[in-house]
Amino acid sequence: MKKMPKRYVGRNILKVDAQEKVTGKAIYPDDIYFDDMLYLKIKRATHPHAYLRRIDINKAQKVPGVVKVITAADIPEVRNFGLIIKDQPVLIGIGQKMRYMGDALAIIIAENKEAASQAVNLIEVEVEELEIISDPLRAMEKDAPLIHKDSNILATHYLEKGDIKKGFAQADVVVENEYKTSFLDQVPLQVEAGVGIYDEESEVIKLWAATQWLHDTQADIAQSLGFPKEKIRIIQPVIGGAFGKKEDISVHIHLALAAMETKRPVKLTYTREESMIAQSKRHPLIIRMKTGVTKKGYLTACQVEVIGDTGAYASSGLAVVHKGMYHCTGPYNVDNVKGVAYTVYTNNTYCGAMRGFGATQMAFAYESHMDILAQQLGFDPVQFRMQNAYGIGSSTPNRQILTRSVGVKETIKEAAYLAGWKGER
Amino acid sequence: MKKQGRGIATIMFGFGYGEGFPDHSIASAEIEDSGKILIRTAAADVGQGVLTTLTQIAAEVLKVKPGVIRIIPGDTHLTKNSGSTSATRQTFFTGNAVKEASEGLLSNIYHYASIEFISNHAELGIKDGYIFRNDNPNNKLSYWELAKKVAEKGETLKVEASFFPHTDKPDPKTGQGEKVYVAYTFVTQIIEVEVDTDTGIVQVLKVYTTADIGKAVNPKNVEGQIEGGTVQGIGMALMEEQVIKEGITLNSDLTGYLIPTSMDTPRFTTRLVENEDSEGPFGAKGIGEPATIATAPAIANAIYDAVGVRIFDLPITPEKILKALKEKRKNK
Amino acid sequence: MSKLMIELTINGKKRKVETTASTRLLDLIRDDLHLTGTKEGCGKGECGACTVIMNGELVASCLVLALQADGAVITTIEGVGDDKCLDPVQEAFIETGAVQCGFCTPGMILAAKKLLEENPHPDEEEIKRGISGNLCRCTGYQKIFDAIRLAADRLSSRNGGRGEEDA
Repeated sequence: MKKMPKRYVGRNILKVDAQEKVTGKAIYPDDIYFDDMLYLKIKRATHPHAYLRRIDINKAQKVPGVVKVITAADIPEVRNFGLIIKDQPVLIGIGQKMRYMGDALAIIIAENKEAASQAVNLIEVEVEELEIISDPLRAMEKDAPLIHKDSNILATHYLEKGDIKKGFAQADVVVENEYKTSFLDQVPLQVEAGVGIYDEESEVIKLWAATQWLHDTQADIAQSLGFPKEKIRIIQPVIGGAFGKKEDISVHIHLALAAMETKRPVKLTYTREESMIAQSKRHPLIIRMKTGVTKKGYLTACQVEVIGDTGAYASSGLAVVHKGMYHCTGPYNVDNVKGVAYTVYTNNTYCGAMRGFGATQMAFAYESHMDILAQQLGFDPVQFRMQNAYGIGSSTPNRQILTRSVGVKETIKEAAYLAGWKGER
Repeated sequence: MKKQGRGIATIMFGFGYGEGFPDHSIASAEIEDSGKILIRTAAADVGQGVLTTLTQIAAEVLKVKPGVIRIIPGDTHLTKNSGSTSATRQTFFTGNAVKEASEGLLSNIYHYASIEFISNHAELGIKDGYIFRNDNPNNKLSYWELAKKVAEKGETLKVEASFFPHTDKPDPKTGQGEKVYVAYTFVTQIIEVEVDTDTGIVQVLKVYTTADIGKAVNPKNVEGQIEGGTVQGIGMALMEEQVIKEGITLNSDLTGYLIPTSMDTPRFTTRLVENEDSEGPFGAKGIGEPATIATAPAIANAIYDAVGVRIFDLPITPEKILKALKEKRKNK
Repeated sequence: MSKLMIELTINGKKRKVETTASTRLLDLIRDDLHLTGTKEGCGKGECGACTVIMNGELVASCLVLALQADGAVITTIEGVGDDKCLDPVQEAFIETGAVQCGFCTPGMILAAKKLLEENPHPDEEEIKRGISGNLCRCTGYQKIFDAIRLAADRLSSRNGGRGEEDA
């Protein structure tokens, strides 16, 4: 039956925010100015894995225009923040560890950007260097130095469906490969930026800064500063792209601290370099995949080991790596699945959310595999996918039965038709 | 020598937070004095167009022009938690919350109007922001006139609603759960590439995409997501790599970290599979992340089809292709 | 930092501005003249978000010193159309869905305008090349190409007939 067209849903209604963007009137966080506004710059780690032994801000403080330099010593009551577990320090203190090059050592507050930039370069730092762990495989070794208090393996997740031994026994062809993906940056065109104001009377900190989750960012800031949530107000300006990079705290707590300290409006805008070094990335995954198939072309088993480098802090790592694992078979019927996923700390930039969240990396593995299997069997890649693809009643690696909305076969058929795929090689 | 090849990839994406992680969105719809209908939601628009999607949904339900709908900028003190703009969840979760709130507002419009008109609900009709008796359409009240009358009673035409579906926490030993994700989006891409065997450079020529997204609330915006996601996928497949050695980032600017420019784009043919069969608003499912997932594997498969080499680590740079071609010739 | 006085014409208005030797044109436009439509995306002239038209040419304002703009004629996005009467390129961007996050949009529109000025009927390759200095991360560029084609059609019919030059 032909579906009745709706008036607005299903139509190409013009975007409600397009006009302000084509005229340049849309206000992104860095477009906000106040009289009397101060500019912030962050002094960042000088070594990827080291104890901070000394920090000298005297020369920096003397730069004309510098109003204040905040170090960890000024904020003893401020707590760690983090999306899932709170393992990220707001500022690294003496005797504490910097764990990646993006860790913050000091907040410089100045009347203008030049003074702030000058002052950053005049902060003297002494560290006690530790072994830099840049390879997750090294991080997993028993004798590797611990990056945090507990094991460098932050989390291990498991997947088990059916009987993997039986599954491989049923297979006529088994393919095993290791796939690797790289660190990626989300590169939203707008870098991290924000403005903060502190209202002394109401004791409310008002922040304009992009965030993908307004209330959870508010909660994270509040718990870090030890304030009730109502004392942190975040207003969304227009956001210039995110793709996962604006899920974690970036400028927010530093702005809040500076606003409270100076009682003046404060602005913090990252450089692109800072954004790439200090803020989250896509997890590089090592995916060891073994898949079995019968000579008639039906998948019987899928086994996977996933190692995810989550960098210096957990961020979304506790969710990303195993979400990838949960997608390991792709949209294909496989009765027997076994998997293990490790989320591993290193001294690289911390990894968080990026479009696809582990499932993107995993698809590179399973879809490469599908073509390799098809070729070994002498099957056309489209036909091979069609005969294994999900339908209503199929069960996922998590044993979830799909009861509605499973259009995968239709997508394969339609795509093949559109592309004029004839199955000839 | 330039060789062409074609590759396919079919992917799935379980969207929403899933795994029993509380996933909900709260929205409200209210009649404003200004002649608008205000939707309160904290859903962040990061460019993907959720504000437009929600406007369309509210306009559809309340039967007013999209221009009548006003959505205030997210503000922790003026809007309630709608969850993050991530996990491909806003259309499904906030879309449903806004639909519920709009339906609730509409029901209340009927309720209060039926009092004014001394009628039952079925005797009333609505059109363009007016409610009237079917047997005498000229006897009508605008939503705003009605709101004034409601205010006189000390009440308001404002409804808050939320969408809070259940998912299961997977068993820690096996990952098993009855409903780990609210739904899956499926996408297939077939990609044609041209590989220059002398330079190793890959040009992506054509991308055919089909996406099972339930219902496209705004088809052009869904296409925009697919095109944008695909080009990001081209970046992931062929050029993007943040090089971090011994904890030091070696290419921390856009000169060293390459992302696709207009010169790197293929021709697109996109078809949306819309069976309107999901729990989402009007049967819609999400597209944000699935839009990027099929691209890198389809390109990897296309490269193999073109030149017979398979690269197992991304990005598939010209250097890797040339090295693999050299190995292949040696092994022959 | 010693201050210097420069004079420039921006969006048709003559302005005298105090600046320093190290201030970039981008900072002058945004911080001093409060024209925030021009954006900073990379600070190294790679992304095109800071594109302005200076003395008739497209420039990356993050790579130009404010001093170099003394006596210059500059157009920013604020000088293109307005809310009451949008430029055909702006209209086309809205209609084709070429705007997602919008951060690249001001620079992209100026690049598109410059392209169409020099080449009123660009083919697909010429369109791609014309905006190759402007990065967009959201759209995949397709609908931006559509917008440029649409604007080209409209501008040529506005300028009388098909506007094609006789061979």
